[in-house]
Amino acid sequence: MLLKHLKRQCQREVLDVVKFGVEFVPKEAYWKTVYYAIQSEKRGFDNLWITDHYNNRNVYTTLAATAIYTKKIVFGPGVTNPFLVNPIMTTQSLASLDEMAPGRVVLGMGAGDKTTLASTGIEAKKQLSAVVDAIAIFKAMLEGKSVTYEGKVFQVKGTKFNFKPRGQIPVYIGAQGPKMLATAGKIGDGVLINASHPKDIDYAVGQIKMGVSEAGKKMSDVDVTAYTSFSVHKKPEKAMQAASPVVAFIVAGSPNVILERHGIDLETANKIRGALAKGDFGGAFGSVSPGMMEAFCIAGTPDVCNEKISRLLKAGITQFVVGSPVGPNVRTSIDLISEQVIPHFKE
Amino acid sequence: MSYKKIVKMIPVEKREELSDKLLNYLLKSKKEKKMPSSLAKCFLSQWQTGGFDDEVGLAVLLEATALLEPEKTTEFLEQELQLADVAKALKEAVPAGGA
Repeated sequence: MLLKHLKRQCQREVLDVVKFGVEFVPKEAYWKTVYYAIQSEKRGFDNLWITDHYNNRNVYTTLAATAIYTKKIVFGPGVTNPFLVNPIMTTQSLASLDEMAPGRVVLGMGAGDKTTLASTGIEAKKQLSAVVDAIAIFKAMLEGKSVTYEGKVFQVKGTKFNFKPRGQIPVYIGAQGPKMLATAGKIGDGVLINASHPKDIDYAVGQIKMGVSEAGKKMSDVDVTAYTSFSVHKKPEKAMQAASPVVAFIVAGSPNVILERHGIDLETANKIRGALAKGDFGGAFGSVSPGMMEAFCIAGTPDVCNEKISRLLKAGITQFVVGSPVGPNVRTSIDLISEQVIPHFKE
Repeated sequence: MSYKKIVKMIPVEKREELSDKLLNYLLKSKKEKKMPSSLAKCFLSQWQTGGFDDEVGLAVLLEATALLEPEKTTEFLEQELQLADVAKALKEAVPAGGA
């Protein structure tokens, strides 16, 4: 009896640290994204991440509206990059948001997507150094003092705000490669890992641990976050159907080393890449295999999703992010997650 | 007729189903530009502070869907909920601040 009680208490302690986040792409009118933000807060999500791509609505206007219409959810760009938005402007935006929603703001910073950046004429060189520099400038400027910094990619000289920021803001680093993952462990408060499979999380946690150890930190100092492609519905086929276009894009954008880690046939992957490049979306989505779905998304009924989330928790994550597409109907899927997924892990 | 008055014509037992359907129409609508900025703010404030099952919330939803998806809204009222009188009142309602 006592053993059972202790086991349950221990399980609760583990589960209590798990956070649930949700990611939205601001591709529609702001009021729709903010509707989902409010809904996510009401339905028990802890974190809200808004993606930052120049071809969608602006991330900071969306976050400002979120600040106004929510009370407790923690939110931030997930992720921005230092190439398209100068780190000084990112710091200014986050410091201003922190005035609107004190203590609820976090920064998600990554290296950016090379293909998207290329279309803006920006060549993303020295990605790791750029992220390190951006975060150093971010932290220094939040101190409210004059900052001079000589980085490999970014330099500032006597840069200072005419206002006093409220203080430090947690920094999450979007990472996939070994060096970025270790760096995230070393200098980040959290890591956003674009992965849905325990194999990828295992690998990432190993790299993060190296950075954490190098910095003399503890793993509990870092919020290890799985930023997944997620789709839930009571009918599994509907959940899968909604997720397959996202998986096609993930396969097309993944390095071959990651595809090989999951035993994905490279010929089929190239077929998908070719179809997407030609705009043949039907061909691309139709080529997504069950193996690809298993590797790159969490899709299915709430029970199936819960089992897969449990595997990621065992691999070491402390935050689970429900990413695109969320489900065939975002609104009803958020409700379903609130009713049948979050309660499975949190009391 | 104001949207609040139109809502009063809707039987209480049908309001939840209507609210659910109208939210779907609104969130899936491609006619976002038809949403006035003042109504968008009203929609978000209502969602933040209450919801869309009560009279005030349903009035906001009706005004928004009457602007963005009028055909779908009236068709649902007439065909599914058998509320032809409500559909008729909605067609005659004047948007912009009616709620």
